[in-house]
Amino acid sequence: MKLKEINRTAIQSWSPAQHHPIFLATGTSAQQLDASFSTTASLEFFELDFTEPGLDMKSCGSFSSPHRYHKLVWGPYGMDASGHPSGVLIAGGENGNVILYDPAKIMAGDSDVIIAESDKHIGPVRALDVNPFQTNLVASGGNESEIYIWDLNNFGSPMAPGPKTQPLEDISCVAWNRQVQHILASASPSGRASVWDLRKNDLIIKVSDHSNRMHCSGLAWNPEVATQLVLASEDDRMPVIQMWDLRFATSPLKILENHTRGVLAIDWSMADPELLLSCGKDNRILCWNPNTAEVLYELPTSSQWCFDIQWCPRNPAVLSAAGFDGHIDIFSIMGGSSQAQSQRHADQISNSFGNMDPFGTGQSLPPLQLPQQTAPAATSIPLKKPPKWIRRPVGASFAFGGKLVSLENAQTNTQQPQQPTAHVVHISQVVTETAFLKRSEQLQATLSAGSFVDFCQEKISAAENKFEKTLWSFLKANFESDIRSKYLELLGYNKEELALKRKPETFFFLVFQETKAPVDEDSSSVEVSAPVEEPTEAPAPPAAHRRVSLSISQDVDGLITQALLTGDFAGAVDLCLHDNRMADSIILAIAGGAELLEKTQKKYFTKTHSKITKLISAVVMKDWHDILKTCDLQNWKEALAAVMTYAQPEEFSSLCDLLGARLEAAGDTQLQAQACLCYICAGNVEKLVSCWTKAQDGHCPLSLQDLVEKVVVLRRAVEQTQRSGPTAVGILLADKMSQYANLLASQGSLATAIAYLPDNTNQASIQQLRERLSRALGQQPAAPAAPALPQHLFQPAMVPQPAAAAAAPMPIPTPAQPQYYQPVRSASTVTSWSNQTPTALPNVPPPLQVASVLSCVTPAYPQVSQYPPGAGGVSIYQPLQYSTAPPPPPEPPGFLSQYTQPVPSQLTPPVYPGQPPISQCLSSSPPSHAPFFPNASSSFSIPPSSGASFQHDGPGSPVSYMPPPPNGVSGTQHDSDTGLIPTSQRTGLHGSDQPPPPQTHSGCRNQSSLPSPQENYTPPAPITAPIMAPLGADPQAQPVSSGAPQAMVQGPHGAQVPYSGMHQQQFSPSAMNPAMPKTSVEGAPGAPTGDVIQPMQSFPTEKILKKPIPDEHLVLKTTFEGLIQKCLAVATDPQTKRKLDDANKRLEVLYDKLREQTLSPAIVGGLHNIAKSVESRSYAEGLNIHTHIVSNSNFSETSAFMPVLKVVLTQANKLGV
Amino acid sequence: MLIRLFFNFQVSVINTVDTSHEDMIHDAQMDYYGTRLATCSSDRTVKIFDVRNGGQILVADLRGHEGPVWQVAWAHPMFGNILASCSYDRKVIIWKEENGSWDKMYEYTGHESSVNSVCWGPYDFGLILACGSSDGAISLLTFTGDQQWDVKKISNAHTIGCNAVSWAPAVVPGSLIDQPSGQKPNYVKRFVSGGCDNLVKLWKEEDGQWKEDQKLEAHSDWVRDVGWAPSIGLPTSTIASCSQDGRVFIWTCDDPAGNTWTAKLLHKFNDVVWHVSWSITGNILAVSGGDNKVEILFCSFTREHHHCVMKNTSVHL
Repeated sequence: MKLKEINRTAIQSWSPAQHHPIFLATGTSAQQLDASFSTTASLEFFELDFTEPGLDMKSCGSFSSPHRYHKLVWGPYGMDASGHPSGVLIAGGENGNVILYDPAKIMAGDSDVIIAESDKHIGPVRALDVNPFQTNLVASGGNESEIYIWDLNNFGSPMAPGPKTQPLEDISCVAWNRQVQHILASASPSGRASVWDLRKNDLIIKVSDHSNRMHCSGLAWNPEVATQLVLASEDDRMPVIQMWDLRFATSPLKILENHTRGVLAIDWSMADPELLLSCGKDNRILCWNPNTAEVLYELPTSSQWCFDIQWCPRNPAVLSAAGFDGHIDIFSIMGGSSQAQSQRHADQISNSFGNMDPFGTGQSLPPLQLPQQTAPAATSIPLKKPPKWIRRPVGASFAFGGKLVSLENAQTNTQQPQQPTAHVVHISQVVTETAFLKRSEQLQATLSAGSFVDFCQEKISAAENKFEKTLWSFLKANFESDIRSKYLELLGYNKEELALKRKPETFFFLVFQETKAPVDEDSSSVEVSAPVEEPTEAPAPPAAHRRVSLSISQDVDGLITQALLTGDFAGAVDLCLHDNRMADSIILAIAGGAELLEKTQKKYFTKTHSKITKLISAVVMKDWHDILKTCDLQNWKEALAAVMTYAQPEEFSSLCDLLGARLEAAGDTQLQAQACLCYICAGNVEKLVSCWTKAQDGHCPLSLQDLVEKVVVLRRAVEQTQRSGPTAVGILLADKMSQYANLLASQGSLATAIAYLPDNTNQASIQQLRERLSRALGQQPAAPAAPALPQHLFQPAMVPQPAAAAAAPMPIPTPAQPQYYQPVRSASTVTSWSNQTPTALPNVPPPLQVASVLSCVTPAYPQVSQYPPGAGGVSIYQPLQYSTAPPPPPEPPGFLSQYTQPVPSQLTPPVYPGQPPISQCLSSSPPSHAPFFPNASSSFSIPPSSGASFQHDGPGSPVSYMPPPPNGVSGTQHDSDTGLIPTSQRTGLHGSDQPPPPQTHSGCRNQSSLPSPQENYTPPAPITAPIMAPLGADPQAQPVSSGAPQAMVQGPHGAQVPYSGMHQQQFSPSAMNPAMPKTSVEGAPGAPTGDVIQPMQSFPTEKILKKPIPDEHLVLKTTFEGLIQKCLAVATDPQTKRKLDDANKRLEVLYDKLREQTLSPAIVGGLHNIAKSVESRSYAEGLNIHTHIVSNSNFSETSAFMPVLKVVLTQANKLGV
Repeated sequence: MLIRLFFNFQVSVINTVDTSHEDMIHDAQMDYYGTRLATCSSDRTVKIFDVRNGGQILVADLRGHEGPVWQVAWAHPMFGNILASCSYDRKVIIWKEENGSWDKMYEYTGHESSVNSVCWGPYDFGLILACGSSDGAISLLTFTGDQQWDVKKISNAHTIGCNAVSWAPAVVPGSLIDQPSGQKPNYVKRFVSGGCDNLVKLWKEEDGQWKEDQKLEAHSDWVRDVGWAPSIGLPTSTIASCSQDGRVFIWTCDDPAGNTWTAKLLHKFNDVVWHVSWSITGNILAVSGGDNKVEILFCSFTREHHHCVMKNTSVHL
């Protein structure tokens, strides 16, 4: 395909390969004249610019010369050294001159363009060549066998390659060897070629076929094979190209025959040794494969001779042909069509009309043979053989999964084509993120092993900065017991330390309570208090002993007194408030009931404005939103700590979120980062992701890994603690996860990648990736992806039950512990304070009890033995789960007991209506209690069967506990224990059995748990006691501290459920039933965690004491238990499992009732019906029967177990067991 | 554009497929899933291997070209198993697997010279193939259903020849991130080509006509290959081009209109650079250069712009 043309009759030379852009230099030929017979000569430069359409080439400079030229060569000499940026154009002239031009200067229009000039040659210089290895060396050939080697660095003194050949003849061609730099060949029209070795400075071989017909017009070395050269013959009688190999220089290796007339020029492509151009007097331009002597291509060219032809050194598909028709044509040998050509054709036709000379140079005369001049066809066929330069030998391409496909084409050597060559494709795995992959593997290992704590620990120790360390510490806390207190510690609130610091505080609160007592006394009838005091024998606070004058004067005191005497608490409180007696008003409000208290608190807070009022307000009102919304963000730690401590489980997350959101919105980047911690506490993965993403560059693989590690760990933590639903994946998280999966996939970890893809998304990109991954892994396209995070990792061990936590229904002032809703396991970690009380309680000798059956009750003893307040105590309690119990605060024990007792039912109806000193009264009491101490009630309500037990605990506990002084609080206690109580008994408490009759039990035990004399069972008591104790102990306190006990009550829900009065109430009634003494046993299970209970149930005593279930009802037990087991076997959700476990335990209530045969026949009958429906697996029917029973029976009779039964049936139905 | 180089990367051969081709292999491409390998050779054949699990089972030996086959390209699997090949014989053949056997689906003979490059457009555009030829033209073949192919041709796209074509990812100009699901986004079809005129050219379809959108000049010799980087969710378009002159350029365009392109020289090799290939994730570039050897340059392209750090890391396979 013709690309360009220049209207010149000229010799030509391409710019060197190194030169960009490509130029073509033309020089007026010495042997032609145009029609003007002008003898002026010039050098011109044209740029080969394919971005310009059309055939014209842009002239970039010209130089008028006195010389006409036989030969032009353009060497790169000086290009690198900046001396001659466009190299050097060497021209051979008519008169033996060799002239060096600077093309850059010519194109720049400079006048001083000649670098050097010499006329050393005799006759015209027709042959020139630049050494390809040393571009400063130029060979030239003239007449009379003259060959000179010019050094452009030292142009003045050329050397000869050796002695002149004889006979003397013109030199028509010189050519440097393309492989060996010191070898030069020359040829003459006579047909002889000579090869010179410049090192030897001599002729080394002559090449001639002796036919005398060879008139050498062209000479070219094989670009690849050093010993081969071709010679072209101009002789029409022998229009051939001979290929010689100097190793067999006797005759040509090959003869390329196709031209019909003499060959005028040849050029061997440097880009492809299998391409040799030739042009001849037959007007043809041929392209040969000289190795096969095959003509590959014939250019669709002119009807005129071409006297020179040259490959473009830089653009291997381009060649130029200079013809006698006045044109230099530029062709591509790649075929194709050109619009430009037809365009040109039209131009030419139009030109022909006006006989114009548009260039004004006299050189644009119409071509000699216009009609034939135009390109014959717009299209041309390309080479038969693809040129080497388009045969791509390499090509590595990426594929899915970080694979790289690369080719291996063994080197094809033209000299040994026979050698078998392997053609293989390599598939490689490219891993660019080795560190990332390593960490990903670690994470995988952690996931499958479930060793999150270790993982977090590693992260903590490897953390680069403090924040990172904190973050991981928070995450780690999720996998440890007592999450919230761990969080607190991380926030800088170490409970133990604080406990020490706080001691004085505690005292203060106790004192506060004390002061309360007197008030009560005042208000209530004083006489009652006296009897109470005695049994407790506690060193009652002085106040208790003080006789109060009940003045009813008209001053405020008097008015208050009057109000109190009439039971008008509200009035009294108002009066106190009015008089600014805050303490009085609050204390009165406590006695006046929850509602009043609440009102009073509100009033108090509106009146008081101290620095910490808000905090106190929040603590008391349990409204943290306000604080979180308004607190100074610099105090975020404190705010978060408060949330840790107080927040109810159901609002915990949202509170943490709230704080997190504020932090995130803060302008301070430091604070923004801290929001992450809040989100971790909240278990809010999505927010964590967004917060983290803001702070970090999530696009660096390792940064993404950082994020994913946290997310995965947090998600697992959330799953385990059930702080939130399953694992809903938000958009942002899904986005991150898919990024992560993409990254993993790009590193070849396809299987891992698919595991991280969120399932529950309909994002097209994620679905596509999943499909692609599964196909790549050879799975079925539709195969559901493996769950991103294996659920099985969930560890049942981590029961989030707030076992012990509940225990602490402590006084208002020290809110600290009670509020924990942590999903702690066995609750051993319960805060010191709360523990103390509860623990103490069991032991406490119930003052009331005394009245009942228990003779042995000596308040002092029991405590001592069981409760070493000091270190000793802990060990002892372990079995009971109260291991952590801190030393009991030294308080005035007596006070409570006193208080309770004195309260006459009439005076404080709400509080202690039913609790006359006599145990028997209990039955009525429970309901009233409920509102006050809901939590406690539940657990403890059950035992009350006898009523006595319950009550004892309550009032007694505090008393006994504190006062224990007799024995000495600390270590000595053991002694005292042993002394006071038979070792056997003592052990019994901890786990050993106490077969002996109730009475024999250690003081504490029996007292607390032992209901009525009639009943045998005693063992459970100890357990219930702790729970109940709080209630009884300080009924007043409870309303304030409200939070604490809940957990216990709701055992099943574990930490999450806040205690609410409601629940308890439900239970309590049943429990209250005096008729059912056995219930006490149940109380125990209900209380803390299941784990804890187990040991207790195993108490031999218990077994012994329990009656057997009547045979006819045994089926109920086996059926229900069997059902629960079945459900457990199927259930996968940890929460469900916990529910079931709990139900299993709580159904003990039912069994006990069966043992005691206290249930009405109708109910028992209904239960049997349920059992039958269970047998037939028709749970729906069972539920119907259930509903029927509940609606037709005494609530108090069934409420202890029917709800549980319903849960079981519902679960069974759901699980379809 | 920050270019991060991996000094820590590993390339490990996990499978070596002996293709039994009788002459030089010019291209090898894995399908969308990385389970099949297509190769083409100067022996005029195209072969397909199943390479799952490290195997190399010859699935098909496709004969139909009458010259060296330069490139193969897999269509997106949503259209079936379709492979395009182009050859020095001036033909483009589209092969399709039906019922387990591969047959010619379409043969395009509209070029007057060697067809050097074929590339399927993003699947969002349907089944559309761009072909670049040594005759300087680029053809666009669009499957219109029922065995019909619509042909559009850009003549004189690159004087002396087009060496490579590569499609732009399907993104809506202006809002280059994920398009809202549901309605069909208003894609603009664009692709890039490189040729023997040393130019990189961008083409864009407007009103059904293909027009030259940009002409990128930086190379001083034939542009051997061009690669439009997969979208990685950034509003930046990125193109890699490599050349006979040994240079590899990274072209980026930040403006939504796509009018301002800036070139960064990624690396200058001492020899011709034949091929560039982006990783699926669009952040790694493999550059194959040299004669009879492979040099692979890895670099990662991240979100940061306007920074360019260049270092040379190469591996010889």
